[in-house]
Amino acid sequence: MGKVIVVTSGKGGVGKSTSTANLGTALALMNQRVVVIDADIGLRNLDVIMGLESRVVYTSMDVIEGACDLEKALVKDRRTKDLHLLAASQKNNKNDIQPEQMKKICLELKVEYDYVLVDSPAGIEQGFRNAAAGADVAIIVTTPEVASVRDADRIIGLLMNMNIGDMGLIINRLSPKMVESGDMMDPDDIIDILSIDLIGVIPEDKEIVVSTNRGLPATYNHQSSAGQAYRRIAKRIEGEDVQIPEFRAGGWFGNLFKFKVFKGI
Amino acid sequence: MLKQLMRLFRRNQGSKDFAKSRLQLILVQDRIGIDEQLMRALQMDITALLSRYFELEQDGIEMELQREGQSMALVANIPVSSLKNRRPLQA
Repeated sequence: MGKVIVVTSGKGGVGKSTSTANLGTALALMNQRVVVIDADIGLRNLDVIMGLESRVVYTSMDVIEGACDLEKALVKDRRTKDLHLLAASQKNNKNDIQPEQMKKICLELKVEYDYVLVDSPAGIEQGFRNAAAGADVAIIVTTPEVASVRDADRIIGLLMNMNIGDMGLIINRLSPKMVESGDMMDPDDIIDILSIDLIGVIPEDKEIVVSTNRGLPATYNHQSSAGQAYRRIAKRIEGEDVQIPEFRAGGWFGNLFKFKVFKGI
Repeated sequence: MLKQLMRLFRRNQGSKDFAKSRLQLILVQDRIGIDEQLMRALQMDITALLSRYFELEQDGIEMELQREGQSMALVANIPVSSLKNRRPLQA
């Protein structure tokens, strides 16, 4: 029996879909059988981020309406064995699906697959409730900003009310440079405020934009620092003991540069 | 030069600490579920009570929740123009 993980945040634009696509890919690359579900009915994105948009034929709505079998609705990712996408309908909206229907899909999928990752829409309304309905575990994505952390706190409260107590936090788009200069909250600050377990930190990485342009998740790119961070999170999800590295501005070169600046003053 | 350094240091310390302390206050309010409606109702009740004793300047009333260490404080600034001329309360 597999696990259903909802990837959520409250606030929009913090990297839920990017995280879902990358974690799904990273887990599949570790030979896990994975389905990623786009639960953002009416505003689908996950197919584009994964580069599968041209191959979507059926959506979760078709499955719910009985127009096609669940297995048939899954888009197989040809680049990675055992990675599948269940796309969202673009014609419907979030209120066209009930939590129970989503839960049924998740329960059915986790019999066959090791991981079912559900990409939640932003907000705390029905769309979020649908996405979380069948979840065993929640991954909350936040950026190191006041508004995003506030919304994450709200989502944590709602998940607790839904009895999803098993939660992990991803801090996305951390800029080591800004943390070092004291202009960005660091992971300790955020954990201190939200008091949940940290599952990973994704450094700010331009490669994410490039990989989204190409429709090829950064996880495939071994040069990408964000891709590496997602692979580490996948290992942690799999129960491996992988340390969260302390990010430093620009790595070795960054430190050298900083040293020179200080000498100048 | 030392002054410059100090200023640099202070400025750099600033914004992250602002973010954290603002968040802590926001979250205390969010978590105990105080919204604007409740604050307005509270303000009306408090001013109604105080008006039995004082003449109040209604326009200058300010009320807010402030974080003090680990706890919250309700801080109210209620300008009083005079003591109300009233007869002793009867049972």
